[in-house]
Amino acid sequence: MDNFEKYIKENKALFDVHKADKSKLWENIESGLNKPESKTKTIKLWSNPLFKVAATVIIALGVFSIINISLVSGANNSIQNNVALQELNDINSHYKGLIAYQVKLVNKNTQLSPEEKKEFLSFMDELDIEYEILKEELQKNVDTERVLEAVVINYKKRIELIENLLEQINSSKKLDNDDAYTL
Amino acid sequence: METNILYTHKSLVEKSKLGDRNAQYKLYELYVDAMYNISMRMMHIKEDAEDVVQDSFIEAFNNLSSFRYESTFGSWLKRIVINKSINQLKKKKIPVVPIEDQMYHIKEDAEDIPSEIDIKNIIKGIRLLPSGYQQIINLYLIEGYDHVEISEILEISPSTSKSQYHRAKKKLIEIVKTL
Repeated sequence: MDNFEKYIKENKALFDVHKADKSKLWENIESGLNKPESKTKTIKLWSNPLFKVAATVIIALGVFSIINISLVSGANNSIQNNVALQELNDINSHYKGLIAYQVKLVNKNTQLSPEEKKEFLSFMDELDIEYEILKEELQKNVDTERVLEAVVINYKKRIELIENLLEQINSSKKLDNDDAYTL
Repeated sequence: METNILYTHKSLVEKSKLGDRNAQYKLYELYVDAMYNISMRMMHIKEDAEDVVQDSFIEAFNNLSSFRYESTFGSWLKRIVINKSINQLKKKKIPVVPIEDQMYHIKEDAEDIPSEIDIKNIIKGIRLLPSGYQQIINLYLIEGYDHVEISEILEISPSTSKSQYHRAKKKLIEIVKTL
């Protein structure tokens, strides 16, 4: 490479003397660009006339059966459902207050260690899960009476648990007190 | 190190491959002036150079999936611009390689190279060269292609590229001295 070539290569940048009209050029470029690829592949089932017929039949059957079910059993079910829900609400309002009060008592109790409280409350959580399942069953329109009974049993179990616990605590308190007297 | 250079603007290129318009615009912004200057040096007419640049970007973005980092994105794009410019010149029947009649017969001892010349005069000097000589000077001196690459671009043999370049350079120096 001679000096002349070297000189030109070193000053290459000086040969760029023009400025492009960026926005004008981009406008023309953009109109010529392919549309971005869609990320999901679409399979055109609808192009086949057989699929169109099949889809129409399925939709028609679906609509018919929905109307049929709702007309025939809808009325009955909705009344039944309302009654069941009303009953559930009654049960809830009766027992929830009771349980909340007793849980509070357990929490306040100074005789129990935090671990014991935690263990006891985890039992309650298990019963909570059972309750949620029962509630779902009720919405499915299975034998409502039996489900409601199960809900009541569920609540009763909790109360029983708490009562037992409180009783144990109280009896141990008494024992402690007796000991104090003998001393 | 070389691999790093090849992957310049990789994330923009990859997004552009998926059709991301913002990434495509960013790449366009980075390269448009350089590409426009390359085309202007070859075409000399603003509208022609603009057409070449537009077509080159459209072709580049629409065929980006075929770009596999064998070169930098810039040099890949530059090659598209150069090929399109050459094709346009051919369409306009403007010679891209020197024709026999235009060949200058310069004495072998004529190479008295000035050490520093005004770049503006060199640009002017290139413009005064016959079209065929202009392209070879542009491709070798300014765009930095070697004679093998030039032989592919201009569809001539590497030895022809070499000999014609030397003639073109001598003529250019002669012209520049008179400016």
